[in-house]
Amino acid sequence: MTDPTDFEKRTREVLDESAGRLDGHTRSRLTQARHAALAQLERPARHWWRAFVPAGAAAAVAVLAVVMWSSPADRPLASPVDDIDLLADAPDFVNDGEDLEFYEWAAGEVET
Amino acid sequence: MTAFVTLAGVYNTPVLSSVLGGERRRDQDLMTTSRALDQFLSSVEKRAFKIAQLGLRNDDDALDAVQDAMMKLVQSYAARPVEEWRPLFYRILANRIRDMQRRRTVRGRIMAWLPVRDSEDDEEFDAIAQAPSPDAGPAKRLELDEAIGVLETAVAELPPRQQQAFLLRNFEGLDVSETASAMGCSEGSVKTHYFRALESLRSRLGEVF
Repeated sequence: MTDPTDFEKRTREVLDESAGRLDGHTRSRLTQARHAALAQLERPARHWWRAFVPAGAAAAVAVLAVVMWSSPADRPLASPVDDIDLLADAPDFVNDGEDLEFYEWAAGEVET
Repeated sequence: MTAFVTLAGVYNTPVLSSVLGGERRRDQDLMTTSRALDQFLSSVEKRAFKIAQLGLRNDDDALDAVQDAMMKLVQSYAARPVEEWRPLFYRILANRIRDMQRRRTVRGRIMAWLPVRDSEDDEEFDAIAQAPSPDAGPAKRLELDEAIGVLETAVAELPPRQQQAFLLRNFEGLDVSETASAMGCSEGSVKTHYFRALESLRSRLGEVF
């Protein structure tokens, strides 16, 4: 690089002087900006998936709640009366005399 | 006592001591990087502000641009070698200034179509109103003498690329290759922009300087 000319030196001096005369408010804001930037180094690195952790946890709790709510263990056992009603309501249970005869025969066999 | 011996034994295991040693080393590295960045940023912040101020002709915008550049440098390039920070920082700053200038131009065009301009922020840029003035306030009055005012006005009116080349080369003292890296152009372009900027300033300020 060639040596700077007098004009270049003079303009640089003037600009340096101008930068040196920044008012306190501006200097303070620059310091704050620097500290804010450096504070990023102290923060642990954030992984993108961490943003989804709360939503994932909430979804898991909701699924668990639904599963537990609809679990068969919580439901009352059906009574034998319900079963009889169901059988009685079935349209093809007593549909012809042939089946009825079979059931009478089967009941007789059990009793003997 | 047994518990102590057991715990001591656990802490003395090679795996754990290497993990703890690794964390300590990381903390030390972080502290060293933080100190080096602090030193670097405090060495450039005033000149960076002046460059942004001359490019944007607005103190608040200039501060925003410098803060953004600091944030981006720390966030993305802290791990880079120290000697790369300066061109990187000025490249980020130059991009930020250009973005803000473009946004301002677009906003100015849009506002020109509207009949009423009621917000100070939305006003089209007015070079005369924004030029350094001794009546701007006590701090400004002290800050600016005639030479600074004349030079800054002349630099601010240079075309953006010439202004960048002049400020990075002359004011910030970057060499041609660093300036090219900061401006995102070839070294030949830097030389051309710088030469034209000097010619333009000399023709305007020759009598004063």
